[in-house]
Amino acid sequence: MPFTSCFSIRQQVRQLLFRGMVISAGLWLSTVAVAENNKVPVAQNAQPVVDFTQQIQPLLAKHCYACHGPDVQEGGLRLDQSEQAFKQLDSEAIAVVPRHPEKSEIIARIISKDKDQQMPPEGDRLKQDQIDLITSWIQQGAEWKKHWAFQPPQDRTPPETANHKWVKNPIDAFILARLEQKGLSPAPPADRVTLIRRVSFNLIGLPPTPEEVDQFVNDTASDAYERLINRLLASPRYGERWARHWLDLVRYADTNSYERDGIKPNAWRFRDYVISSFNQDKPYSQFIKEQLAGDELDQVTAETIIATGYYRLGLWDDEPADPLLSYYNELDDIVATTSQVFLGLTLNCARCHEHKIDPIPHQDYYRFMAFFHGLNSYGTRSDQRSFNQTDITGPEISALYARYDEQKNDLQKKMHVMEETAVKKMSGVDQRRSETPERAKLLKEKLGEYLEPGQLKVYQEMQAEIQQLEEQRKQYPPRKMALSVSRSLKEPRETFVLLRGNPHVPGEKVQPGFPEIFGKIETPVPSVPKDRQTSGRRRVLADWIASEDNMLTSRVIVNRIWQHHFGRAIVQTPNNFGQLGVPPTHPELLDWLALEFVKGGQKFKPFHKLILMSNTYQMSSQHSDQADAVDPANDLFWRFNMRRLGAEEVRDSLLAVNGRLNLKMYGPGFYPLISQEVLQGQSQPGKGWEDSSEEERARRSIYIFVKRSLVTPLLSNFDFADTDSSCAVRFVTTQPAQALGMVNGHFVNRQAEFFADRLLEETGTTHPQFVKRAIRLAYGRQPQAGEVEEGVRFIETLIKKHSLKEKQALNYFCLTILNRNEFVYLD
Amino acid sequence: MTVTQPSQSQFPQGSSSAGHAQFCRRTRREFLWEAGGGFASVALTGLMSGDGFLNSQAFAADGVSDFPNPLASKDPHFKPKAKSVIFLFMYGGPSHVDTFDYKPKLYALDGKTIEVKTKGRGGEKNEGRVVGPKWKFKQYGESGQWVSDLFPHLATCADDIAFLKSMTADSPIHGSAMLMMNSGRILSGFPSLGSWLNYGLGTENENLPGYVVMLDPTGGPISGAKNWSSGFMPATYQGTTMRSQGAPLIDLRRPEGMSQAVQRELLDALKDANQKHQASRAGNSELAARIASYELAFKMQKHAPEAADLASETKQTQDSYGLNNPRTADFGRRCLLARRLVERGVRFIQLYSGGNHNDSNWDAHGDLEKNHNFHAGNTDQPIAALIKDLKSRGLLDETMIVWGGEFGRQPTAEYAKGTGRDHNSYGFTMWTAGGGVRGGTSVGATDELGAAAVEKPFHVRRLHATILNQMGLEPNRLSYFYGGLDQKLVGVEHTEPIHEII
Repeated sequence: MPFTSCFSIRQQVRQLLFRGMVISAGLWLSTVAVAENNKVPVAQNAQPVVDFTQQIQPLLAKHCYACHGPDVQEGGLRLDQSEQAFKQLDSEAIAVVPRHPEKSEIIARIISKDKDQQMPPEGDRLKQDQIDLITSWIQQGAEWKKHWAFQPPQDRTPPETANHKWVKNPIDAFILARLEQKGLSPAPPADRVTLIRRVSFNLIGLPPTPEEVDQFVNDTASDAYERLINRLLASPRYGERWARHWLDLVRYADTNSYERDGIKPNAWRFRDYVISSFNQDKPYSQFIKEQLAGDELDQVTAETIIATGYYRLGLWDDEPADPLLSYYNELDDIVATTSQVFLGLTLNCARCHEHKIDPIPHQDYYRFMAFFHGLNSYGTRSDQRSFNQTDITGPEISALYARYDEQKNDLQKKMHVMEETAVKKMSGVDQRRSETPERAKLLKEKLGEYLEPGQLKVYQEMQAEIQQLEEQRKQYPPRKMALSVSRSLKEPRETFVLLRGNPHVPGEKVQPGFPEIFGKIETPVPSVPKDRQTSGRRRVLADWIASEDNMLTSRVIVNRIWQHHFGRAIVQTPNNFGQLGVPPTHPELLDWLALEFVKGGQKFKPFHKLILMSNTYQMSSQHSDQADAVDPANDLFWRFNMRRLGAEEVRDSLLAVNGRLNLKMYGPGFYPLISQEVLQGQSQPGKGWEDSSEEERARRSIYIFVKRSLVTPLLSNFDFADTDSSCAVRFVTTQPAQALGMVNGHFVNRQAEFFADRLLEETGTTHPQFVKRAIRLAYGRQPQAGEVEEGVRFIETLIKKHSLKEKQALNYFCLTILNRNEFVYLD
Repeated sequence: MTVTQPSQSQFPQGSSSAGHAQFCRRTRREFLWEAGGGFASVALTGLMSGDGFLNSQAFAADGVSDFPNPLASKDPHFKPKAKSVIFLFMYGGPSHVDTFDYKPKLYALDGKTIEVKTKGRGGEKNEGRVVGPKWKFKQYGESGQWVSDLFPHLATCADDIAFLKSMTADSPIHGSAMLMMNSGRILSGFPSLGSWLNYGLGTENENLPGYVVMLDPTGGPISGAKNWSSGFMPATYQGTTMRSQGAPLIDLRRPEGMSQAVQRELLDALKDANQKHQASRAGNSELAARIASYELAFKMQKHAPEAADLASETKQTQDSYGLNNPRTADFGRRCLLARRLVERGVRFIQLYSGGNHNDSNWDAHGDLEKNHNFHAGNTDQPIAALIKDLKSRGLLDETMIVWGGEFGRQPTAEYAKGTGRDHNSYGFTMWTAGGGVRGGTSVGATDELGAAAVEKPFHVRRLHATILNQMGLEPNRLSYFYGGLDQKLVGVEHTEPIHEII
């Protein structure tokens, strides 16, 4: 399409809105609102205070950056950095002279009528009001404000509001003040059934039972809601729900991707670590330090070692075409994930060149990478464990196993050498076979032919020795291993800036260091006890990220917590707080929350409670035409947003309402039944997908084995997180594959049968009781007028008109209950 | 089908990378700012790209509300030459010197050890024992294209084919090379070519998936679903596996015991309950979209089996595709189904010749003759029939056929004995036909041995750019914002289509 102007886009947005279309992506609209706000002060007041980031920077970016920006600096002028804009140019002119528009070359050029002088030289000239804006800004001192996120959070006082009564805590004050500015009022409070469903799914990812609903609805005590929150936060289900948000961010999976998509042994311990960390209410700072430097802390424990599995969760190509590049791709994955997840920065954009938008030089990427340069690659084709597995059993048992490993490896190596001499003499076809799983068979058949008798004897003796070792090993107590950082270097590799990101073209050497936007901070020299085998570099980074003073860490995490309570974050690009991110809808609130989080010792549970106790959280999702006209995307939170359940919630709810949910916690992942037709997509259908018992298959979804090349279809249908890179916000798609799976799929039909079984057991075959209980279990609420009769009629139609057996009709009724919008959407 | 976009997508406006400095054209950054000060607004351009988005509203359950379908047909960047692509993926890597890249001098070198640089799964080597081509080559058609005896049927289509004899890829290892051929990167996690087309153009037929993958009966290619993944894009854009026998799509068949009438009863009850639920929830049109998605699913149950009903084809057509011969029947069925899908507006269809591992596909490490005779024999007649059938129906002009593997094979032997060849990503052959491609042409060349591309090397990206271009999409403009970057199928460097063949 041709270039679309801003105006026509806005027009289209309005059209969309008036058509009442689906726009959960409120993010588009916020910026439109921002853009429109820009005009307001100019029209209302002749001398408003001009806001650089909101009003001037966009103009410069639009009209000037192409020739005077990060890529090109014609005439030596660069307008995306203050120092550059204020300096004398080659032509002796100065682009911007604070307080002196008349001396500022930029003004002279944009108003010039001379074709050779005027700027921009082509395209639309600036409009008079835009020129006025730039002039006023220069007159006011040309304050070159930093991007909001690149300044520390400010101590904000909750604003005054007209409606005092509504303000239950400072969150409400921040929200209400903005609503009042726009002449809006918050939606009425949600009813109790809605509220208990909302908060249950929100905190534990499961629906409340009808009994829990009744108890809450009938609890007249003033602290009924608070006690409900306390109960949910204390439930072990809480960790299972909130851990998944974190696993999305750190691209958790149990396999490596690529051709073999091999298993990452013991990855599940990391998943369990995250669950238990949330359940313990571990302070965020500690959580950060354990994952980034669990092997370099003062107190290294099995738990902190497991936490370093963080570094081992990424993709790994066991057969890279270019091993060096592949190693740097692994590091890039770590830089990208770490900077986005903990800091909301896309440092990865500076791998090949300077960051195009944010002030992040090329060197910053490599300084940051240097913290990780003691890490080895995940493994090698022939050794897929040494660099990523740590024995956490305890020293004595570890020593036993270490000796066993060493002896066995030694023998195997020697045997391999002999095998290869024989294989080289075999036919091409057999040589090929030797590289396939048939190798053992081949050797058994033919090794004798190709080895000299003496050699063969030696070979067979070694075989016997291995057998003996294995017999011994069976007597040892079991060994516990953890996916983790292992054999990190004490003397990390030297780090060079890689030109255009190419590891074969090293440039200048750099030392570990924090990104420049944080100011010129001295990077402490790592100190590690002598008995440690690592450099301590990651500890330095972890301490800095986890520090209370880090200007981004706390804002980034509170934004995520808010996101998972309200369905959308204050900064709607939670992994990108940079200039390409969406500006916060409530910047003051974000700052206040960040400081509050730090004050509270960076603990999650009290922070959840703070948010959940607000009236903002307890609003209904009721629509208002008036508010919708002003703020159609609900950027101001005039109501609570309805929410489609996530993939795990859909599956777990099915099991919860039919009473089959197996609450067994922790341990290796299980394998849901995947149909043959889906398995057929694998190069070896069924490979790497094991069998699990029915009981295991009724466990919560967080315990499903995550195979990168074979994501469980029910989960992927409902927008499970991408497994290959950090996923900050999941998609919410609605598509026919979901409907097909929910109506025709084996899993859901099976769950509907179980649901009917349960209902039959609880209510007998009186259809009205059956229907009533089904509605209560599935939706929490009481049936509405006529609803039971309709259900009964449906069952009877199936029996009479379609001659179905009663159980079959009841199964199908249950299937409709599980398919309703009400089952997957929360008010 | 609605989608809430947490990350941003767009068809960037503005200039090609060249020349913006001189002309002060709008760059992407300018556009971002212009559209409202941040990249949020970019999502909007993506979703509303062209008028297509607003024009092609699907039905909604209540018959009143609009149903924004991310797969709704969207306008291309310019008038396309092709409407559909059929990618015949010769998984495992066919040997170019034994198929289409005629190397007369290689025959005489058979068995001789010579100096030649190769890189395959066996690592880098500087010399090797030549395996002479195992088939004879002849020239075919008016254009005189060289084709080996492996493809007697296909040879008769030589004047419709454009050969690319100097393809190169970044990796000679299956895992990463497959990802590269399908998604342009050797890294896992990027959207596949079909996803890009789905995202860029939507589907012409909402009752069928826009991106269909048909696998070999022995199994999928290595990395399985990663090869048709939508990566960081929503799953809506990913490939759907389809079968030519049995239920064509996953979960398409009603559960046992559920008649169509019962299902309709069930869907009506569901719709009724959903509409009551929706009535008190104004301003949440996602609810209407979900109701509509059930109706769409119901329609797919009718349309997909109809599309897959090969029995409705004449005996003559069936025979021409080799359905009457056990060797060719399977690939023939899939080729015939591909034609039927093209007729029904499916954008991108990928057929795998070969699956699983080792000799179940073209990966001829052991016995080259046995391997290639087998796979060529299974596919030669069906592919020729597909080209001719499309042509006779006037569909070849708007259907681009692409043939090739993830790489080629080395001129030298992999092992001390035998005829097996190792992988070769330094130079290999692919071909295209139809969809506005100039038939009877051949561009690029490898060296005398076929070891590496020497004349006009074409990286896989160039092929991708050509496909996008034929489909009406400017390869350097089609982008999706993710992870702080404008991601493109063709990567960050400006990439031209292969003009020599279009």
